[in-house]
Amino acid sequence: MNAQTSYNVILFKSVSYALKAENILKSEGLPYKLIPVPKQISSDCGICLRFDPTFQNKIKAALANKVEIEEIRTLAN
Amino acid sequence: MSEIKIVNAKGLACPQPVVLAKLAIETNEKVKVIVDNDTALENVKRLGKKLGCDVKAEKKNDGTFEIDLTRKAGAIKSKEDFVPSCSTQAVSSGPFVIVISEDKMGRGNDELGSVLIRAFLNTLCLQNEKPDVMIFYNTGVKLTIQGSEVLDDLKGLESVGVKMLVCGTCLNYFDIKDKLGVGIVSNMYDILETMSKAGRLLTP
Repeated sequence: MNAQTSYNVILFKSVSYALKAENILKSEGLPYKLIPVPKQISSDCGICLRFDPTFQNKIKAALANKVEIEEIRTLAN
Repeated sequence: MSEIKIVNAKGLACPQPVVLAKLAIETNEKVKVIVDNDTALENVKRLGKKLGCDVKAEKKNDGTFEIDLTRKAGAIKSKEDFVPSCSTQAVSSGPFVIVISEDKMGRGNDELGSVLIRAFLNTLCLQNEKPDVMIFYNTGVKLTIQGSEVLDDLKGLESVGVKMLVCGTCLNYFDIKDKLGVGIVSNMYDILETMSKAGRLLTP
């Protein structure tokens, strides 16, 4: 996953949303990684979920109507 | 060609080696400075470059370093404004060690602690300055086994030269020794020795 040239992150309103999303992705067996929100996005001590862009649709579907997503961003590695 | 002036600065505390080297090169074209630690080595090398000398450093088998400073024609520009860095480098002569004593970071809320330790290790991967050694004990060893969410991060750190010592007693206690995914099974002797020799010891 780290070798990708770009990756996506899902940003949430709060840590608890991120954790709820994490639990869903974990139970669905979808690959993700919990990381600190990159500094270029925010200097807050937040967390977000990083994932491979090829899983975007599956991940969005898994979280739909369950967890409120603030934003999905694509970032260069 | 003039004689080589030898400056034996072994055993001298910073900034003495630099002071002696500077005095010597101001009155001699060639100076050989002998030092016995990295801080002095780096400081003398920096001094030589700053003064416009040719600088050659060689590590000797006995652990000392010989630095040859050769003045170029007309060199010796600055006389006053070289400041050797003694402070942080001098104290951090031992390895930079990070101790992971739990599979969480901080006390109070375990769910949050688990988030924080993962964020910590992920961020550590992105830092330029990596630790020399990481030590895992107590529930910290759970981070090093197969299926751990930070295993990739730890493997990445190991692949760039970070040594990982994982407490064997702890792996045994949790009955997860056969699942170790990164690092080497270690013991209290190595763990204590590494911690004792650390220049910096950091616990998240």
